[in-house]
Amino acid sequence: MKTTIKTTGITLIMLLAALFTTNTVNAQTTEKTYIKIEVDGLSCPFCAYGLEKKLKKIAGSKDVFIQLEEGEATMSVPKDQKPTEEELRKIVKDAGFTPKEITFSKTPFKTKKDDK
Amino acid sequence: MINKIISIQITAFLGTLLLFGCSQNQEKTEQKAIPIMEWKFIKEIPLGDIAPIGIASQGNFFWLSDVDNNRIVKIDFEGQIIEEFNGFERPMHIAIQGDKIYIPEYSTDSIKILENGNISNYEINEQPDAIGGVAINGNTVAIADFYNNRIILNQGDKTNIIGKEGHNDGELYYPTDIDIHNNLIYVADAYNNRVQVFDFKGKYVKMIGWNEGINVATGLKVTDTQIIIADFEGNRVLVYDLDGKLLQTLSGNFNKLEFLQKVGQKS
Repeated sequence: MKTTIKTTGITLIMLLAALFTTNTVNAQTTEKTYIKIEVDGLSCPFCAYGLEKKLKKIAGSKDVFIQLEEGEATMSVPKDQKPTEEELRKIVKDAGFTPKEITFSKTPFKTKKDDK
Repeated sequence: MINKIISIQITAFLGTLLLFGCSQNQEKTEQKAIPIMEWKFIKEIPLGDIAPIGIASQGNFFWLSDVDNNRIVKIDFEGQIIEEFNGFERPMHIAIQGDKIYIPEYSTDSIKILENGNISNYEINEQPDAIGGVAINGNTVAIADFYNNRIILNQGDKTNIIGKEGHNDGELYYPTDIDIHNNLIYVADAYNNRVQVFDFKGKYVKMIGWNEGINVATGLKVTDTQIIIADFEGNRVLVYDLDGKLLQTLSGNFNKLEFLQKVGQKS
């Protein structure tokens, strides 16, 4: 009897611990930083998708979206994997473009995708 | 009786295709017949939400790479989609050989082969960075390696690298499209605003289009008699003879030209 109670107790503690850990991980991963990069020199699809290719290599990057006419790139990353502005500028330069203003935000930026 | 060759020249831009008919007449100068080609507008094909970059003709159909929607579509001359294959990652300038369609994926640095609905990988011995276009001729495959500013040339087991970053003769600055004709490699040297020609050994042969002030040379097609260049920012198509002499400029309702394909129909 004692053994059963002890085993049940341990199982419950382990379940609670697992639940707590999962919630913590979810809380971390759902916190995002949204990034908008204004770019000079985006003129053709080869440029746009070249920049997309390079930005997708950033750890944790998601929702990379290039707006050719606006000369803008938007994306999101987990908050704890946020790249520095300097790192972003280097990536844009390596992709063949001149970075202008870079904005970090806690909320998503409006894009043409939202209008569809 | 003068033989007439009627061809259809396809130029594509955002959402539509423009068909041009090309009639070839012959004028006799002394004893040598010189063909004179002139392209004329035939019709516009609506493409709906297709955002084409690459085009290849097959019988009465066209294959288009729909870069925005990551798919390859087969359309008829009315713009109706006959078949579509999804899941390609930013497909660019495609090439066709028999039933095989070679599809460069810009995002994955790979080339896929679509044949009778089956997809396989083409093995590349070098590591490219963003493939803009591919050309096939016999066992020769030429690849426009956009970010590495070079051409990867595969001939059987041999691989040669042609070009390097720069603006001088033989140097490239973001090559986007490529074609092979008569043992020569023609490269749309996009941001050097020209087409460059190399032999299979990688030796620079000549440059085309420099005098016309091309803004961005993104698309290219070489026929038996002509070199045809899409000027993306200039919204025009430039037609040259094989010596690089400008024959004709096609302009009009173009918007951001990206590619070219010629379909021959003899009558």
